[in-house]
Amino acid sequence: MPTLRVDHAKCTECRMCYYACEEIGINAVYIDLEPRHRFEIDTHKCIYPTCVVCLMYCPAPGSIVEAETGRSLVPPPPDLWRDRSDKWLRDVILAAKEKP
Amino acid sequence: MATALPGKELAEALEAESRPRTLRTPLEGIVEAAAAQALTDDQYFRLVGQLWAMKRMYYYVYGAWGSSLTINQYPPSVDYLFAKQIYDESTHEMLYSQAILHKGWAKFQRSALRHPYCQFVSASGIGLYIFSMRGLASYAHSLRMAAIDLGPKVLELGWLERLAAASQDEYLQKLFASQVPETRSHVMMGRFMVERFVSQPVDVALCKELVSMARRDYITALHGIADFVLTPAVSPQRSASH
Repeated sequence: MPTLRVDHAKCTECRMCYYACEEIGINAVYIDLEPRHRFEIDTHKCIYPTCVVCLMYCPAPGSIVEAETGRSLVPPPPDLWRDRSDKWLRDVILAAKEKP
Repeated sequence: MATALPGKELAEALEAESRPRTLRTPLEGIVEAAAAQALTDDQYFRLVGQLWAMKRMYYYVYGAWGSSLTINQYPPSVDYLFAKQIYDESTHEMLYSQAILHKGWAKFQRSALRHPYCQFVSASGIGLYIFSMRGLASYAHSLRMAAIDLGPKVLELGWLERLAAASQDEYLQKLFASQVPETRSHVMMGRFMVERFVSQPVDVALCKELVSMARRDYITALHGIADFVLTPAVSPQRSASH
């Protein structure tokens, strides 16, 4: 499965990705415990492409990329836009809760 | 030409007054227990939970202070540094919350918020300190920044450094150590404010009084945390007895 990473050259550290990810209980975005406190994405917790909530909220173009291809996902490219109903969000939250 | 700093001596004196107290804060028992590997997982949860509760309340304090800042009252550097300090405190709050989830003490932040170890209790040492800081909203920004940054922040820097050095758990060691540079910058910001903006005799007197008061109330908060961590029978409410 493809994974996400933060491009620190473009990230503004606004924290929207952190709050959005935490809000739905996935907690894949975390603060690195080195003194610069940069934001990173835990690929073991992140369930991209099932969930793309961080990409929807990120305001800085190019700051979240697909790790394998380097493709910029901010703003989200058309193939990531799907019909995302409440049911989709419930599924995402349930998927996060089922993870150990 | 060098710029004269009217409050340079006062800033140095205020910081120097707080400095010796960093060697023996109320958290020293926790530092010693951590070094001796005598702290249980539950006690670490109590410690991180209460530190998280206190950091969350800084939003309440700084919110009140920020709302009384007038545009162009101070040079842009002062506004920037204040915003940076709020951002840093927010980072530290998030780090504690993240540690609680990482350690598996709670699965979600909303469950952590409901946990008794993480709750803010108004009738507690932390409550006394937070309401005391909130009460500084009506003072000049230079005075209240001096109060928090040359009083409690100097102490916080001291126990953070020693707790980081004493912690045997690698994650918690990094959690505390990574906050040190930002906390040190807050102390420097306190010096910056006093050096440049505290020169009138009435301000000097008030500044000394407020730093002393903030330090005293912060020590009360630390006593409450230490009691809660080291004496498992103590609830956050009981810790208010100090």
